[in-house]
Amino acid sequence: MHTIFSIAKNTFRQTIRDRILYGILIFALLFIGSSIVLGSLGLEENLFIIRTFGLAGIYLFGLIITIFLGASIVYEEVEKRTTYVLLSKPVTKADIIVGKFFGLFMGICTTTLLMTVAYILIVYLSNASFDYMSLLTVGLQLLEMAVLISILILFSIFTTPLASIIYTILLVYIGHSLSAINTYTDSIGGLGKIVLNLAYYLLPNLEKFNIRDAIVHNVGISVSSTLVSIGYALIYIVLALFLAKLAFDKKDL
Amino acid sequence: MIEIKNLVKSYDDTRVVDDLSLAIPDGSVFGFLGPNGAGKTTTIKMTVGINRPDEGFVLIGGHPPELASTREFIGFMPEEPHFYDQLTGLEFMKFANSLFKKTSAKSEEELGIILKKTGIFEAKDRKIKNYSKGMRQRLGFAQALVNNPKYIFLDEPLEGLDPIGRLEIKKLIFDLKNDGKTIFFNSHILSDVENICDQIGIINKGKLIYAGPVNAFRKDKSLEEQFVHIIKNITD
Repeated sequence: MHTIFSIAKNTFRQTIRDRILYGILIFALLFIGSSIVLGSLGLEENLFIIRTFGLAGIYLFGLIITIFLGASIVYEEVEKRTTYVLLSKPVTKADIIVGKFFGLFMGICTTTLLMTVAYILIVYLSNASFDYMSLLTVGLQLLEMAVLISILILFSIFTTPLASIIYTILLVYIGHSLSAINTYTDSIGGLGKIVLNLAYYLLPNLEKFNIRDAIVHNVGISVSSTLVSIGYALIYIVLALFLAKLAFDKKDL
Repeated sequence: MIEIKNLVKSYDDTRVVDDLSLAIPDGSVFGFLGPNGAGKTTTIKMTVGINRPDEGFVLIGGHPPELASTREFIGFMPEEPHFYDQLTGLEFMKFANSLFKKTSAKSEEELGIILKKTGIFEAKDRKIKNYSKGMRQRLGFAQALVNNPKYIFLDEPLEGLDPIGRLEIKKLIFDLKNDGKTIFFNSHILSDVENICDQIGIINKGKLIYAGPVNAFRKDKSLEEQFVHIIKNITD
């Protein structure tokens, strides 16, 4: 367990020292900050616009950071042969996978927290109220990012960072369209139905982590649906990391 | 003792290591020599547990290197070592140290002693991305000693070092030998091997062609002359 912690800590340190991260973060803060200007154009709807743009910004830039940092996370270890140093010590490939996952996740949590603080500050300055429901939105968004990190780790074992980025962007798009696909599946039959059903159950249903619309429209979120989302994320993460471990075990370094 | 028995490893139907057997007694310095692509690095990677052999086995002090507990007593310096560029040398040493269960309580002073021994102490607070090749080589050696290992594996340890650096590292290898460590190293700088090693092994196209004392191999020639002569004869 202590080796996982060491690898996670090291990955976190590497992540937060990455200059690309700061570049993206500056853009993110500018985007979130610009929601004040957009909000002022919306007259009575200014809070609605600030919340919509702010939460969308946190999601969009969180996603960009996750994909760019996650796509090369194991690939770089193998290519740069830092794995030689790790694996000649009492470290297993599973330790590397799990340690990398937690390290990057902590990095994503930190950057998301920074964006969330900026967002909450803006909402407070505009409305003099603390938007505590946004914390739930961000919490579920972090679960989505955790699922994506586990999938990116799986991809980065057997493909290049560029391919990982493309696959993940496609997966994000499909993952947020699965409910629509499921509705469409009911209206067709044959092989198409089987393929779409398979996609529905195998690919991650990322809409389970999207409550942004509900929150900005002040619609309540049930505890049970939140618990289902947490359970779904945990199962998906464990499965993806387990597959990543199997793929990594088979890989000659 | 390091025991390598009937080791076989293939990549894409090419046998890179072919039925290799070696026995290296404790406390000795063993030089593993061969031309480029002979299978030296593949062998050392299996010996330290990074890759698994297709056939055969390795025992380090009677235990397989695939077990994490065996690797508590191993130090390994890869060829042209790469590190995490955003870390400083000292941070990397702390990280390497934290991966061991039995030695992870080493203080910064103790890590500093290792860094001094390997000649990288002055650069300990600089980011690794600013290190030269020779400095990375020294840090690679330092991290291999972080757990005070009984068995030390070095893949081309003298590569990329200037003459003074090579002299210092050779002295360090002698000191480690005097401390009772068992050292296995790959090299193609034969003049350096000649005065460090108790025994050598020579590998060509995955097959062991000699294992034994240096003097018995070179006879009245220099090690380099005899090595070139033998390899050319096999190739022709």
